[in-house]
Amino acid sequence: MSANKWLATGNFFTTYKQEQRTFLTNLDQSFFTFFLVILFGWPLLFELSNKSMLVIDNILIAIVAVMGLNLVTGFAGLISIGHAAFVGIGAYTVASFCRTIGDSHIIITHFWPLLIIFSGFMGAAFGAVVGLPALRLKHLYLAIATLSFQMIFQWVINFMSFFNQGQTIFVGRVFWFTGKVGRKDHYVFWYFVILTVVVILGFGIRNLLKTRYGRSLIAVRDNDRAADAMGMNPGLTKVYAFALSGFFAGVAGALHAYLYRGVGFESFTLHESIGYLAMAIVGGLGTLNGCFWGPVAIKFLDLKVESLAELAGQYLPSSMNLATALKPFTFGLVIVLFLMYEPRGIANWWRIAKSYTKMWPFRY
Amino acid sequence: MSYFFQIVVSGVVVGSIYALAALGLVLVYKSSRVANFAHGQIIAAGAFITYFLTVTVGMPIFFAFLASMIITFFLAMSVERIFLRRLIGEPIISVIMVTIGLGSIIDGLIYLTPFGTENYSFPTFLPQAPLTLGGVSISWTQLVGVIITFLLIGGFSWFFKKSTVGISMRAVSDDQFGAMSVGISVPRVFGLAWATAGLSAAAAGCIIGNITGLNFDTLHSFGIIVFPVVILGGLDSILGAVVAGIIMGLIQQFASGYLDGNWGLNGTGDVMPYIILLIILLFKPHGLFGVHEIERV
Repeated sequence: MSANKWLATGNFFTTYKQEQRTFLTNLDQSFFTFFLVILFGWPLLFELSNKSMLVIDNILIAIVAVMGLNLVTGFAGLISIGHAAFVGIGAYTVASFCRTIGDSHIIITHFWPLLIIFSGFMGAAFGAVVGLPALRLKHLYLAIATLSFQMIFQWVINFMSFFNQGQTIFVGRVFWFTGKVGRKDHYVFWYFVILTVVVILGFGIRNLLKTRYGRSLIAVRDNDRAADAMGMNPGLTKVYAFALSGFFAGVAGALHAYLYRGVGFESFTLHESIGYLAMAIVGGLGTLNGCFWGPVAIKFLDLKVESLAELAGQYLPSSMNLATALKPFTFGLVIVLFLMYEPRGIANWWRIAKSYTKMWPFRY
Repeated sequence: MSYFFQIVVSGVVVGSIYALAALGLVLVYKSSRVANFAHGQIIAAGAFITYFLTVTVGMPIFFAFLASMIITFFLAMSVERIFLRRLIGEPIISVIMVTIGLGSIIDGLIYLTPFGTENYSFPTFLPQAPLTLGGVSISWTQLVGVIITFLLIGGFSWFFKKSTVGISMRAVSDDQFGAMSVGISVPRVFGLAWATAGLSAAAAGCIIGNITGLNFDTLHSFGIIVFPVVILGGLDSILGAVVAGIIMGLIQQFASGYLDGNWGLNGTGDVMPYIILLIILLFKPHGLFGVHEIERV
């Protein structure tokens, strides 16, 4: 333990207990608390339009989903090209409740936190089942297995009348202690809910990575035979990584269902899965703060490209739809450029910036 | 009974297209161990280049076919040179995502042209009346498409068996260090593998475009549906791609012919390949003809 509780000049851990602390220094802790206060406080001071609030909520949901993906692909090294399907499982859990008991039943409107957690467990159950091929398959083969899960999920949603053939299934408005959450407060309300979920799950991952369960994920990623020799169970770890990622995705899906007050098939396609992968990679695979950078970067890129296309569209013949062309183009370009020049993602920039400020005025 | 044979015929037609589309994927995987998720986009690009050359430029369709094959040959080669060459030795997730990103870039480029959103069809150059034999009918485009497919596959097999370049490609896929030690330039072989894959993709695109019409969504969906095919056949086997392509075409046509409409099922043809894929991955991950390289946990 360093003598200075505010500025650590190095690692002075003498026990594992010290290493497992959530915050290294008091400075970290106060910065973080301050940051959280700002995050929770600003909507009370400023009022944003519903549209921009929706964008922010969307980013937060993507953060939850990407945390799950990062667990399985970043930390455990198992490529999943079916993450949107897991998110869809969560959303369709809520939707199937709506279909069977009506969309404004008390379970949906009053006990929604339980329903969100239940959706998470549904996602986890499906994650464990889909993770079973991971016992036999590695790398590309596993990626293709998850791809086929995605395709089967899409087919099931599209062709079952229970799921309204992929058309929107409505979800009722929820109640809070102050009464029904109306149209005006809807997005702000869900901002707080989703932010709380992000904070809880973020701490969850951070703490998980300090326990044997989190470390076994990384060990299995780096070398599963060595992990086996160290007494871990690689097969179980892989299945459990998928289940955990399914849990995160399920929660994200349920939040998505509530936020949009409806579940439609088009939010859970292969394209979305690739989007989550791109977010994880741009943010930085295998890092926790990458889970936050990636969704923010990709969603903002999307928005900027859209407004740019709108701007340019005024000077072009209306037959050309620039947005549909520019979106995949920039998306692909960003992925390729990141993988070629910064494979460790934005999290690496964060790391560099952090160590620079820490060391300043010295170089190292 | 003629319904059955009709399904068999259309299954073989669809299957041979799958075989040709899968061929490109196998070529790339065999030499450089890269699963190319942008293959569907290259197929679409090849088809649209052919359409552009025939209709807008006014070339005879046969020359346009050859020209687009040459263009995609160099297109795929430059893709490998610019993007994939830098990623040799990177983790597999990077390689997969780069090909996905490339596919997305090509998507964007195609959406910039009118081809991205509208439907086109090649000018007809074959008799319109279908060929009917004992109640089973096959259109001339399908017949010619299948014949060209088999000629191309035969050509590729010959190329790999006999030509020096083909033998060096097989050598690289067998053992990279061994290949290097006898003077084969491994990066050059990677480039050539991509180039031949691009060539076969253009051919597949033209044949698909002739049979189903030119629609970007249909064309690039072939890039995903080939994965069940190559897994069934074994990721690194050309023979496997052909056999599995035809099996998959038959399965798909039988599923949509006999399952759809019964028991409230619908669109089973689209999902059957993926169910088969999961079953194969669980029980025989290296496929019918693939090299056994799967290691268990």
